[in-house]
Amino acid sequence: MIRTTARYFDGISSIPQKVELLFDEATCIFHFEIPVIGYTQWATDEIVIEPFETVLNIHYKQDTSRFIKLNDAEFINQLNLYLKEKGKLSWYQRVIHLGFKVHLAIAITTIIAIALAYSFLIPLMAEKAVVLIPERFDNEIGQTFYADYVLLHSIDSAKTATLQQFANQLNMHNNKVLHFTVIKSNEVNAFSLPDGNVVVFTGIIESMKDYDELTGLIGHEVSHINFRHSMKMICRDLSGSIFISVMLNDANGVMSRIGQSVHNLASLSYSRKFEQQADLEGLNLMIDNHINPVGMTDLFMRLKLNTDKFVPEFISSHPVTHDRIEYIKKAITKSHYQVMDHPKLKSLFQEIKR
Amino acid sequence: METNDAGVKHYQLSFMGSGSTYFGITIVNWLLTIITLGIYYPWAKEKKLKYIYGSTALNEDRFAFHGTGKEMFKGFIKAILLFVVLFGLFYLFIYLQMPITALIVLYAGLFAIMPFAIHGSYRYRMSRTSWRGIRFGYRGNRTELLKLFLKGIFLTVITFGIYGSWFSMKLRNYLIGKVRFGNLELEYDGHGDEFFVLNLKGYLLTLVTLGIYSFWWERDLFAYYVDNTSVHNGEQHIEMKSTATGGGFFKLDIVNMLIVVFTLGFGYAWAVTRTMNFVANHIEMEGDIDLDSVVQTEENFNDATGDDISDMLDIDFIF
Repeated sequence: MIRTTARYFDGISSIPQKVELLFDEATCIFHFEIPVIGYTQWATDEIVIEPFETVLNIHYKQDTSRFIKLNDAEFINQLNLYLKEKGKLSWYQRVIHLGFKVHLAIAITTIIAIALAYSFLIPLMAEKAVVLIPERFDNEIGQTFYADYVLLHSIDSAKTATLQQFANQLNMHNNKVLHFTVIKSNEVNAFSLPDGNVVVFTGIIESMKDYDELTGLIGHEVSHINFRHSMKMICRDLSGSIFISVMLNDANGVMSRIGQSVHNLASLSYSRKFEQQADLEGLNLMIDNHINPVGMTDLFMRLKLNTDKFVPEFISSHPVTHDRIEYIKKAITKSHYQVMDHPKLKSLFQEIKR
Repeated sequence: METNDAGVKHYQLSFMGSGSTYFGITIVNWLLTIITLGIYYPWAKEKKLKYIYGSTALNEDRFAFHGTGKEMFKGFIKAILLFVVLFGLFYLFIYLQMPITALIVLYAGLFAIMPFAIHGSYRYRMSRTSWRGIRFGYRGNRTELLKLFLKGIFLTVITFGIYGSWFSMKLRNYLIGKVRFGNLELEYDGHGDEFFVLNLKGYLLTLVTLGIYSFWWERDLFAYYVDNTSVHNGEQHIEMKSTATGGGFFKLDIVNMLIVVFTLGFGYAWAVTRTMNFVANHIEMEGDIDLDSVVQTEENFNDATGDDISDMLDIDFIF
């Protein structure tokens, strides 16, 4: 039996009433005597205990406005021990009682778990999701973007027809019908859309010296389409972004902002991976068509001289041009290839350049 | 409680919470909310409110929040259903190629929900808050609030936002004026013109000083909210007064920002307890009401819908 003096509030008026409080550790019952009502007892399942740093409030469940306020530190400590022993503390109270160090450890573990899930689970699930998404969606996205894009830009129809003929000479392992468009623009750029549309600017064609460079460019862009890079990017970006905001918004706004910034950086590196894949697969396509793969390095060297801006805009991504040239060179030295002359491609290239 | 000869009583607000305890609460809340895919959210809110209310004390007696996760969960579900219906209608009209109707339905729906959300959340929060076992209560009338709200929105729109100051003061006067604490009545006496000038001055000076004045603007807003709030019991009353300074807000905000940023967000709990501490320490109260004489008057009630809708719409009231 432990005892202390406490203050009792009756839920009728705000006047505190001084009471002698007894706690029977054997039965886990509180005993006290109050004026008018007289002797009262509260069992632990009839009450809600609200602990604070130095004070403990014991509310009566049926009418929470009736409560006892304790601030006897020794009594509170002993009471906690008894309640713990008897298993009367709720799981929540036990977790809260674990203390700052454990809570900090929980926080750090949670952050690490989120980071691991984000780095390994989300990309895996996103890749799986892409397989489930019908190609119809790729086509719709591509067509919508293409329709809007050509409205605002002028097409060079003669060059468009020639480029289409040029590409038709090549076997690009494509599972989609490829549709090429040449846009009149000084910009040194080209991009592909997930529906099989490839848009090339006159600016980039003018900077080329040989048809193998153009083949390299086509190989790169078509690889993006063959590997559904746009859809993979969309899935990965959306799932990552949603995951981060769901996980961190529950913590607080600042953490969520930091998480989104990390996510944006991660997305950039992810798209760099796609660029590299497109470069290397484009190279394989050149080799399969018996085109000199050195055309790919030539293309990048020329672009490096010209401007560092050869990036498909639709999925912004930028492996540094210098690195690209290096890994492409390495891939070329490792591969076996046989170059054949393509008079037809040569003449079509001359026509486009005109 | 000390009493001097003139019958003037002594009132002291204080915040007794600690950052490290609150940190534990927020971390456990966070973890459980993630694990339960968000379902724990209302219970997390219960724990959070219980700690914040329970750490705030008037004359060393703590306030108490009696709401439960279960009550708020029911409100949460109702709020979600309401939004599903509203957005369902919105997409239905979009599907029917009636975008204008869709937008009108959505905005009208959101504006119509707001007064109900405010009403519900005031009723719920007040009825679940007590001090020394005496419950708070909100006795506002839903229809009156709806009328006040619709009139306010209409006038604000046709005056391009200028009426907003008058609207927000009328709303505050109404809401706080309907709050009871036992047999005591709360009152807020704000005026649209004063509030408008305060904000105009704050806005312009903040622009001119490249943001530095914003702390003094914050001080003025805080003072305007605090100084115009009072408690009444017949002839007796308690007046409140802000003692916060612009420099105080400057230090509070800058240090909070540094804490949160340099701990990558983990220090958020300390920013909250520092703010609560600052608020409690900068409200002075003076008057002649005997806090031992408050009598229970408010009944219990059960409806938590409003509490969650206002959360989802992010309506933030200082009180």
